[in-house]
Amino acid sequence: MRRRPGIGGLQTAAAARDQYRLVGENVAKIRTDMMKEQLATFRIQLEEFARKHKNDIRKNPAFRSQFHEMCAKVGVDPLASNKGFWAELLGIGDFYYELGVQIVEICLATRPHNGGLINLQELCILLRQRKSDREAVSEDDCLRAISKLKVLGSGFEVISVGKKKLVRSVPTELNKDHNEILELAQAQGFVTVEEVERRLSWTSGRAIDALDTLLDEGLAMIDDGHRDRKRRYWFPCVSSNSTPVADT
Amino acid sequence: MQKLGDFKLPHFFNYPPYFTLQPVRDTREKQVQLWKDLILDYCKTQKIFVIGLEEDFALFSNPVIERSLSHEAREAFLSALVSEGRAEWLNKGHRKCLILWHRVQDWADIIFRFVKDNGLEDSVMTVEEIRSGIESRGTELHGIDRTILMRALRVLEQKGKLAIFKGTSADDEGVKFSM
Repeated sequence: MRRRPGIGGLQTAAAARDQYRLVGENVAKIRTDMMKEQLATFRIQLEEFARKHKNDIRKNPAFRSQFHEMCAKVGVDPLASNKGFWAELLGIGDFYYELGVQIVEICLATRPHNGGLINLQELCILLRQRKSDREAVSEDDCLRAISKLKVLGSGFEVISVGKKKLVRSVPTELNKDHNEILELAQAQGFVTVEEVERRLSWTSGRAIDALDTLLDEGLAMIDDGHRDRKRRYWFPCVSSNSTPVADT
Repeated sequence: MQKLGDFKLPHFFNYPPYFTLQPVRDTREKQVQLWKDLILDYCKTQKIFVIGLEEDFALFSNPVIERSLSHEAREAFLSALVSEGRAEWLNKGHRKCLILWHRVQDWADIIFRFVKDNGLEDSVMTVEEIRSGIESRGTELHGIDRTILMRALRVLEQKGKLAIFKGTSADDEGVKFSM
């Protein structure tokens, strides 16, 4: 459109601007509408997918994990509530709820032995032993169930010690010194006072203090039976119970 | 799982610290409970009635992990069984312990059923026959410790189910059942 000088020209320009703005708003609206539609379509397809692969999701932990990732990308949380489409269709809410209950039971049952700290791997092994309907349970499943437990304020926590993950079911707070000892213990399942002093460069007092606290909390057990007469502090939470231990 | 002959050993048996008496109370309680159950279980399946503290009782050491229970530990676990009524010290020095993997009352019930099952309600048997006679074969009574047997018989005698008397030969007692 040719600009024309004078008031008439200005009015035309204003009208033109208005028109452009309207078109612009329209375009934005169309874009949003399109996006909403795309998202709705995507959600429908995801639901379709879930319906079709319900069995795979229930039976296969790797598949289940990827499904969760997919859902997360779309902003869907199948675990968000026990009601609604996802829970009803897949019973996924129930699956994690039941898992959570079993995790609590196992932690309570093993607490006298390990003081309320259990190796995530061992927890999974024990869970799989319990599952009568042979549905596979992965570490990923455990972590999800535990994060749901956390939301309920049950005091459950997953902590990392070295390369391993431990599930804590007691309010015992582990400080950095305790953590370092646990990490050291991962190599052989136990430590000696001497070893702690040497490897971590601590004073004898600091080592004994930390070890005694861990002992009192039920996280460690003493062993005076080795022929070298040195007291060993064993940590049930870092060793796997299923393998016999022998140290020379 | 490690085995001792036919017997399946529990996991804790292979975990060295369980062979040291634990100082922390809760841990110690758990430890004692595990050992009590193991001892009773093992004695029941192996039909062991007496444990000598200084003898080579199989459960007192585990060569695989090179650990043995100290005398103090052995006494602690057995004393716990005694407190629960599942064992008795046979002497003041706490050197021999009678293991009641069946309580005396349970043994009395077993004898009662044994008599009924074999139609012996009005008969007479020697004590030795009860524990090693043909009828006892294949039953829990076979090979039962004499001390325990006598106790159980006396329980039944108190209830009027039988009478114990001195036999004709100098070394055995007899039992007349009246059930």
